[in-house]
Amino acid sequence: MNLTGYSILSVFLAVAIHAVIVGLLLTNWQSEEHFPVTPAEKFYIDASVVKQNPHTVKKENTAKIKRQAQARRQKEKKAAQQRARLAQEALDKQAALDKQKAEEAQRKQAAIEQSRLEQLLEQQRREIAESEQQAADELAEADRARLEQEIALAVIEEQDYRRAVTDDEKAQAYVAQIQREMIQNWSRPPSARNGMQAIVRVRLVPTGEVVSVDVEESSGNDAFDRSVVQAVQKSGRFLVPADSRQFERNFRSFTVLFRPEDLRL
Amino acid sequence: MNEQLSILDLVLNASLVVQLVMGLLLLASMVSWVVIFQRGFTLATVRREAIEFENEFWSGKDLRKIYLEIESAEREPIGLENIFVAGFKEFTRLRQQKAADHDQTMQYVGRAMRVAMSREEERLETGLPFLATVGSTSPYVGLFGTVWGIMNSFRGLATVNQASLSVVAPGISEALVATAIGLFAAIPAVIAYNRYAALVEVSVNRFDAFTDEFSGLLYRALHNQK
Repeated sequence: MNLTGYSILSVFLAVAIHAVIVGLLLTNWQSEEHFPVTPAEKFYIDASVVKQNPHTVKKENTAKIKRQAQARRQKEKKAAQQRARLAQEALDKQAALDKQKAEEAQRKQAAIEQSRLEQLLEQQRREIAESEQQAADELAEADRARLEQEIALAVIEEQDYRRAVTDDEKAQAYVAQIQREMIQNWSRPPSARNGMQAIVRVRLVPTGEVVSVDVEESSGNDAFDRSVVQAVQKSGRFLVPADSRQFERNFRSFTVLFRPEDLRL
Repeated sequence: MNEQLSILDLVLNASLVVQLVMGLLLLASMVSWVVIFQRGFTLATVRREAIEFENEFWSGKDLRKIYLEIESAEREPIGLENIFVAGFKEFTRLRQQKAADHDQTMQYVGRAMRVAMSREEERLETGLPFLATVGSTSPYVGLFGTVWGIMNSFRGLATVNQASLSVVAPGISEALVATAIGLFAAIPAVIAYNRYAALVEVSVNRFDAFTDEFSGLLYRALHNQK
C-alpha cells in the first residue's frame, strides 16, 4: 500500500533530518571552544589590597642597607688591596734602592766595611719591613673587625626579615578574607565599566572596625566611587590579627584598589 | 552521540522537568517531521493521480472501461478515482434496479459522491491537526521548560551569597535549550501546516468541481437514454 510505503520513507527522512541538524549543532558548538561555560565559583572582580605598609618599605630598606653594606665592603676590600699593593711596591722600591745603595757602597767602600755595612743595611731593611708589616696588620685587623660587625648586622637584619616574612604570610590570609568580604559587598553601578579603578584608603581600629574610608584616587565616575566606599562601609568590620604589632604594621591603614574585570562593557 | 560536547552536557545536566520537556519536544519534532514528509508525498501523489485521471476522464473514453480499469488495478484508488468509482457504482446500480426516477437517481449518486469526497478529504487532512498542535503549543512547552529551569537556577542563586552572573548563567543557558528545541519543532510544523492546508483546499476544490461535472454528465446521460 502506498501510504505505508510513504510512512516508512517519511520516518526515515525525519530521523535523518534530525540527525543531521543535531550533528551540525553539536559540531558547531564544539568548534566554538571559547564559548564560556564557566564553573559556578569563579569571580573576576578584583579588589586588591595595595598596602603601603611600613613593612614593605622596611624590607626594601633592609635590602638597600644590605646592598650598601656590600658595596662598602667591596670598596674597602679594594682599598685594602690597593694599600697593600702600594706598601709592597714601596717595599720593593726601598729594597731595590737599598740594594743599589749597598752595591754602591760595596763598590765604593772597601771590603772590610762591607760586612758591617751590610749588616747595618740588613737591620735597617728589616726594621722598615717590620714597620710596614705592622701597619698592614693593623689595617687588616680594623678591616676584619668592621667586616664582622657588618656580618652581625646583616644577620640581625636577616632574622628581622625572616620574621617579617612569616608575619606577612599570616597577614596574607587576613588580607584575602578582607578582599573577599569587600567583593561580596560591592554592588557595582550600571555605569561601571571594565578598566575603571578607584583607590580608597581604609583606616581601622584594632577591633577591625572601619573608622574611615577616603577615596584616594577617583575613577572619575561618582557612582562608581560611591559604590566602592559603600562596599567597604557595608562590611563594617573586618577580621584583623589580634597581634597588635601585626595590626599596626598592616591593617591600621591600607589602600584598596577596586577594579571590575568581569563586566561586559 | 559524542560525549564530550558542551551542549550535550547542558542537556544532561538539566533538571528532570527540563529534560522531560526537551524529550517531549524532540519527540514532537520527530513525529511532526514524519507527518510533514508523509503528507507531502501523499498530497503530491493525490494531485498527480487527479490530473492523470482527469485527463483520462475527458479523453472521451468509455466510462465503464475506466471504471473497470480502476477496479482491476492493483493499487488502491485514491482521490478523484474514489469519487468517480463511488458515483459510477451507485449510478449503474440504480439504473439496473430502475426503481427510481432521474432526479432521485441523481440525488443518490450525488450523495454517494459527497460521502466519498468527504472521506477523501478526511484522508488528505490526516495529521494536519497534529502539525497545527505542534506548531502552536511547542513554543509554550519549551517556554515552560525554560521558565522552570530559570526558576531553579535563581532559587539556587538565593543560597549563594556570591551573587554573580556566572552562578546563574549555566542554568539559564541549559533552560534556554528547551525554548530552542520548542521553536525548532514549531517552525517547520507551522510552515508545513499552512502549506498543506492550502494544498488540501486546492484538492478539495478540484474534487468539488469534478463532482459537479460528473453529475452533469450522468444527468445528461440519463436524459439521452430516455
